[in-house]
Formats: sequence, structure tokens, C-alpha cells
Amino acid sequence: MNIDPQATLVLSPLWLVPAALGIMLVATLALQALQRLVEQPLTELGAAAAGGSPLHRWEPRCKLAALLGFALCAVSLTSLWLVLAALLAAAGGQALSGLPWQGPWRRLQAISGFLVMLVVVLPLTATVRPGDILLQFAGLSGLAINLRGLELALLITGKAWTVALLAEPMLATAAPAATLAGLQQLGLPRRAVSLLLISHRYLFVFRDEAARMRIGMQARGFRPRPSWTSLHDLGNFFGMLLVRSYERTERVQQAMLARGYRGVLPQPEKISVLPADWLAAALVLALGLGLLLADRLAGG
Amino acid sequence: MHLSDGVMPTTLALGCAAASLAIAAWSTRRIPERDLPRVAVMTAAFFVATLVHVPLGPTSMHLLLPGLVGVLLGPAAFAAIGLGLVLQSLLFQFGGLTALGGNALLMGLPALACGLLFRLGRRLNLRRRIALAVVCGALGTFGAALLMALLLALSGEDFLGVAKLALAAHLPVMVVEAAMTGFIVAFLARVKPEMLAAPLPVRELADEY
Repeated sequence: MNIDPQATLVLSPLWLVPAALGIMLVATLALQALQRLVEQPLTELGAAAAGGSPLHRWEPRCKLAALLGFALCAVSLTSLWLVLAALLAAAGGQALSGLPWQGPWRRLQAISGFLVMLVVVLPLTATVRPGDILLQFAGLSGLAINLRGLELALLITGKAWTVALLAEPMLATAAPAATLAGLQQLGLPRRAVSLLLISHRYLFVFRDEAARMRIGMQARGFRPRPSWTSLHDLGNFFGMLLVRSYERTERVQQAMLARGYRGVLPQPEKISVLPADWLAAALVLALGLGLLLADRLAGG
Repeated sequence: MHLSDGVMPTTLALGCAAASLAIAAWSTRRIPERDLPRVAVMTAAFFVATLVHVPLGPTSMHLLLPGLVGVLLGPAAFAAIGLGLVLQSLLFQFGGLTALGGNALLMGLPALACGLLFRLGRRLNLRRRIALAVVCGALGTFGAALLMALLLALSGEDFLGVAKLALAAHLPVMVVEAAMTGFIVAFLARVKPEMLAAPLPVRELADEY
């Protein structure tokens, strides 16, 4: 590509120092957050389901359909300002749900690694198109920062954050069984729902089992090191975890069959949809489609 | 590593979602009704395994294990991976919501391929089957990285640089995944060989696969 960009701004190479320091700081924070996230206890889906917010009272089917629709509209946006508006709307939803902000905060941390990578790499590697503004540093001709790449990375960050903020109001404002029943009524196959329910239940059993095994290994002097021996020991650890799980699958299956399981879990009661539920869903979808329409009109 | 929301254009995201729903439906149908709980419980075990950190050089990584899931679950691997990703997305936001379909394809297709490969080598002796498991571990991760790069490249030419970087970043991960899969399969061969005899859900129709 030898298309000349319209504008090239040349900066002093001294600007590189704060930029590099800033990137390193953010990347370190993101990595640490990721590390902490894995060490934090897994919280059950909808553990804080009891609550009196309008989102808790919203019928699950309408809530899921409306918020999923809004998320799809949000990821289709192309203008940074409208993405910001969608982000604010999602934050408003989180505020309205009255749930602690810790939940969305953890979700934002979880995706930060990928997003930090995009914010660093995209400005350096995005294709240069006519009309792009490039930042260059005096004396370093090989390094050019494409502002359109930066804008693209920020756009993706905004969209990912919007969806992350929608997640808690969507999933944590009802008991998992009610949310899954809503998904089933929206067309998710019955088998998928059964699989999800059982997996979600046993996740916590195995998390505790893995933690117990880890403590046992540490008590016998195991410390993870980047060495083949360490990898071998961890391989045995994973193998043992799988063997125990496999044996547990047999016991669980026999227990379920003995209690009359024939491949179908009992259906929860259907909740009736009130006009207010429809109205709320229509409003949220209208907001999403309105943002999308504004985006397409503005972008041409 | 997963793609986040907002990277893929909406048409591509929806296309991937449709494709992965179709494959997941096929994969789920291969599980006999009474064996559904077993696949669900194994999925939970794999989910927990991917949360454990493994040291890699000065830093640490978490395992993806698409190859191992394929080896142990065969055709049900895609359903298990889709399920794991949905749970990850619901609990942590990894893998996003609108990007779920794409992420399921990029992990699930290599897992299915590895399952088939390991099944083809079922008559080999133990040493060779473990070697095959190492190959599956490497191929599963490589396939996932390759599909991720492909999806990124399809998302626009601006992402080509990111695609190359993602591919390169997965090379050391591939080595650890291959070694880990080999160690785990060797352990299972000693301790619970029937887990390797046939993929869990297709015990009755093992010859059909």
C-alpha cells in the first residue's frame, strides 16, 4: 500500500516514553486483574436474584429478548459517539437493576486483556487508507500510529463494554432456572437447557474438588514452576480431576435415572407476560434500533 | 484466547452463530438421552481445568484443551465446548455474547477434528496413541489459533496485523497444550484406560463414528 495519507503529524520521540509507560501500566494492571479473577471464588449465576428492581420484576423472556436485541444493535454501531450513548444506556440498566457494581467490574476486567492488546496493536497495524491521520515520531520513520486504528480499537472496546454491562441486568436479576426457562421459551433446545443446568451445578462441585487437590499438592511441596517436571505433575493433576469427574458422571447418572430421569428435566412454571413487560421490551428495542438508525443516517 | 464482542461485523457474527448452532445441534443429537448428564458433568470438569493456571516462562497461561476435549468426548465435543463457552460468557464475560458463535466455531471445529484423528488411531499401541494425543493437543490449539486469525482477517483488513500476532502468540501455548494433553492421556491410560477406549457418549454406537 503506497497510498499517501492526507496528514502526517510528526511528534518528538520524547512522546514515546510516556506512551510506553502508560501502555505498560495498563497492560500490567490488566494482567493482574486477570490473575486475580481466576483466584476469586466463582459466583453462581443469579446468586443475588432476590431484589425488587424493575429488572427483577421483568418477565425473563421479554428481558432476554429485548436485551439481546439491544446488544446486537450496539455491536452493529460504527460511530464512537453512539457507542458511548449505548454504553451509557447499558450502565443505566445496571444502575436500575440495583445490583452491586462488583459484578460488571469483574466482567470488564475479564475482557481487558484482549482489549488492551487491540488498543496497542491496531493503531500500529491498521491499513493506511486515504484520509487517515498518522502520528510519526521524528527520527523513527518505521513507527507510525494510525489514528483510525486507535478509533477502531476504542470502538470495539466501547461495544465490548456495552455488552459486558448488559450481562448482569440480563442474567443476575432472576434465578438461573428462570433465566434458562426463558431461553428455552425463546427457542433454545430442551437438551441444551438440561446440559446447561447440570453443568452449572457441577461446576462448583469440581471447583471445590480442584481446590482440595491443589491444597494436597501444595502440602506435599508442589510449587508450580516453568519446568517439564512441573508440567508433568500438573498433567497428573488434570488427569486425576478428569478421572474423578468421570467416575462422578456415572454416579450422577445412576442417581438421576433412579429418580426417574428420562432425558427431560421438569419444566418450571410459565410466568405470564403482562402488557408492562411488552412495553419495556419494545422501549429497549426501540432505543437500540434508534441508535442503529442514527448511526446509519450519520455514516451514510 | 477468545474474540470479544464488537470485533466481527454483525453479519459475520450472526453467520458464525447460525453455523455453530447447526453443528451443536448435530453434536447434541449424537448423545443418547440418558447420557446427557454425563456429558454435562464432564463439561463442568473441563471448565474447571481451563481455570487452573499453568506456568509458562516468566508468566502463566490457562489451558484451552480443545484437543483433549475432542479425544475424550468425540462427536459430543462441539456440544461440550459450546456449553462451556456459554457458561464462561454467562459467568465471566470471556467469549462475549454476540461473539459466542464465532468462538464456538474456532474451538469446537479443531476439537471435532482431533476427536476423529484420535479415533482413527485407536488400533495403535499405547506409546503411539500417546504420541497421537500430543499431536492432537498441538493441532487443537493450532487449529483454534488459525480459525481465530481467519475470523479476524474476515472482519476487515485492519485486523490482519492482529491476526498475525494472535497466531504467533499461540505458538508457545501450543507447545504447553501438546505436552499437557500427552501427560494427561498417559495418566488416563494408566489409571482409567476405559476413558480412552471410546468417546464417552457413543459407547453403544462406537463403530458408527
